[in-house]
Amino acid sequence: MSAHLRSIDAAALAAMPILEPFAPAAAEVRRASDLTGEVRVLTCGSVDDGKSTLIGRLLWDASDLFEDQREAVERHGRTVAGGQHFDYSLLVDGLVAEREQGITIDIAWRYFDSADRRFVIIDSPGHEQYTRNMASGASHADVAVMLIDARHGIKTQTRRHAALLDLFGVRTVVLAVNKMDLVGFDESCFRTIAREFEELAVGFAFDAAVAIPVSAVGGDNVAQASAAMAWYAGPTLLDVIRGARSAESRRQAPFRMPVQMVLRDGQDFRGLAGTITSGTLAVGDVIADVVSGQTARVARIATMGGDLDQAVAGAAVAIVASKDLDLSRGAVLSGSTHQARRAVRLEARLVWLSETPFDIDRGYLVRTATDLVPLTALAITARLDLASLARIDTETCGVNDIVEASMELGRPTAVDSFADVPGTGTILIVDAIDGSTVAGGVVGSVHETASKNAGTALVIDRALLASGLCHDLGDTIEDRIEFERRARELALLFQRTGVRVRLELG
Amino acid sequence: MSHVQTHLDILEAEAIHIFREAAAQFRKPVLMYSIGKDSTVLLHLARKAFWPARLPFPLLHIDTTWKFREMIEFRDAQAASLGLDLIVHTNQDGIARGITPFDHSPSVYTDVMKTQALKAALYKHGFDAAFGGARRDEEASRAKERIFSFRAAGHRWDPRRQRPEMWSLLNGRLGPGETARVFPMSNWTEKDVWRYIAREGLDVVPLYFAGERPTVVRDGQLIVVNDDRIQLRPGETITRRRVRFRTLGCWPLTAAVVSSADTLDSVVAETLAATSSERRGRLIDHDQTGAMERKKQEGYF
Repeated sequence: MSAHLRSIDAAALAAMPILEPFAPAAAEVRRASDLTGEVRVLTCGSVDDGKSTLIGRLLWDASDLFEDQREAVERHGRTVAGGQHFDYSLLVDGLVAEREQGITIDIAWRYFDSADRRFVIIDSPGHEQYTRNMASGASHADVAVMLIDARHGIKTQTRRHAALLDLFGVRTVVLAVNKMDLVGFDESCFRTIAREFEELAVGFAFDAAVAIPVSAVGGDNVAQASAAMAWYAGPTLLDVIRGARSAESRRQAPFRMPVQMVLRDGQDFRGLAGTITSGTLAVGDVIADVVSGQTARVARIATMGGDLDQAVAGAAVAIVASKDLDLSRGAVLSGSTHQARRAVRLEARLVWLSETPFDIDRGYLVRTATDLVPLTALAITARLDLASLARIDTETCGVNDIVEASMELGRPTAVDSFADVPGTGTILIVDAIDGSTVAGGVVGSVHETASKNAGTALVIDRALLASGLCHDLGDTIEDRIEFERRARELALLFQRTGVRVRLELG
Repeated sequence: MSHVQTHLDILEAEAIHIFREAAAQFRKPVLMYSIGKDSTVLLHLARKAFWPARLPFPLLHIDTTWKFREMIEFRDAQAASLGLDLIVHTNQDGIARGITPFDHSPSVYTDVMKTQALKAALYKHGFDAAFGGARRDEEASRAKERIFSFRAAGHRWDPRRQRPEMWSLLNGRLGPGETARVFPMSNWTEKDVWRYIAREGLDVVPLYFAGERPTVVRDGQLIVVNDDRIQLRPGETITRRRVRFRTLGCWPLTAAVVSSADTLDSVVAETLAATSSERRGRLIDHDQTGAMERKKQEGYF
């Protein structure tokens, strides 16, 4: 191979940027230590409101973006606002399918560091047909930024978004009144919108609700105060996000640890493994399982890095109990007081996530923190009109609907009301056949006894079986026998787990 | 309180939670082990999740036969010292057909030696879930990835069929023919990976540290010559330079950077001040617009 070798001109080599040793200037070298926690920020609004541009601008101004990411934006050129500005939305809009359609259809996650904190941006689409995406985004957020166009003011969508954020427990909300440049940075325009927002926010349980006049393309009041809007003396968007606090409230709530699994080392160790979802736990504390009524004390809080004396919400641990508890995945550990509720019947507010509408004859399961329980009955009782907050009686629901539902559980499990203990007050509804997540929601009231008319049963009919479990079977005698055998076996399995079943093979 | 949680504490606890959720729900999971820094962290997190029990799943390495020599040595040393159940799989059909990173385009090579190999290995062992170290910060199409990412039969990823994820409730109930990829480090960044390696004092492949290595300049990138399979082009010459890697893969497709960072502290310092994202050094991603998204749809990890 040496035949090909030829020395390269040294000057040409030196001119190649890849060959320059990388030497960070002393001032640029940040400490390698951890950041003090993180804040998860949901951004919601329509494409038209300039949401991707706002996030892009925030990243551009305030984050540790890589140089090649900046270059990609610069290479694309000044294509926005009559060629004045870069297209900052390029930093956010991800999938090719979306770029081609020019819309943002799914939530996207972005990460950036300020000097001491990690910020996680959860970007969610705003249109009504993406309510489910926004709901799932809200479930992860500490603070939400709702975006509107200053020219159009507060619309129905803003009310819907505020209601959704309130429903899923976001306590700090910002109204970013964008495109102030297009209304001549007019103060009275902003004040009118801000007042309307205040009135709107009063109806919800937000801890903080702030309106900020911004221009995302120009960066006004995004990370820096706006020179064009000197009349505004309030915080910038970045100020509010920075000030949001995330973990404290979870630590102050009562202790809960949903058990994920039991760890054994093949000898004496038996640890209840899980993540503490709220409160604190110390060695010697009482732990209790409300479903079985068993209690013990904490003998060890074990981790690979060494035993802990105490652990707080958010920690993933393995608890060794002072005596053997006959517990497995699905149990929720509480302390001696303020315990989780033993539920056999629940009411919940759900966002319907599936494209397939609710079907009263279909089998559903409820997924709690770590338990998966068959539902003997799931009933939709009302739909919430998010814009008016009116309850509309209904028994049906489809994708993006926010509904009130009641459910009967096949066996008791431990949950909390979301308003009391959010960490163990959330559920998913799972399709029993294809496993998909059809709805997510927050638990309202919890009942420890079944309702009197809990006579409803899961109906397993021919069509249901033919579309799933028995789809491989044809019309021969053997296949028909096999069809019935599977149907009976299935019914038996359901009954053993406590689900009332009615076979309809006629 | 003495238990102030730093962001690394939060990320670690979240990853442990994800590992436990997956192990409890999937029938036969496997950990995709690619030897690099992300896999090193992934493996460490897995050990923490199940300690003091043994890992309840094996490790799977897809060996293209083009990995750096130091990577294979590191892999085998780790497997021995930690007592790991390691499966190594190579696409022998691809070898027989003479598929190499020098003779084929990165997309063809990756498809045959990595994507097809992975699918075959998952199928052969009947794994229904595979842990990977992918992070949402790596690439635009990953920014929307779920923690439990579902694949239809044939391991195809369809962005429209992904399950919404709410709170920390991870639904691992599989539908007919479905398998899952699980990403415990979804919310980590490259910087977090290095911060964590430093905090936990983890061993990594020595190639991450600067050293004198034989290099050639090709297509504007620095390639370290790992063995005599290099096919030099006219004008190329092998020169020793002080380089290191930010990301590791198949040696002909992985670019090095000139660096003098030869300790963990200096690598961390360099990473925290870096001006380009790490995937710049991965040649397969630059093949075409949306390259990663397309590869994912075809079943690439």
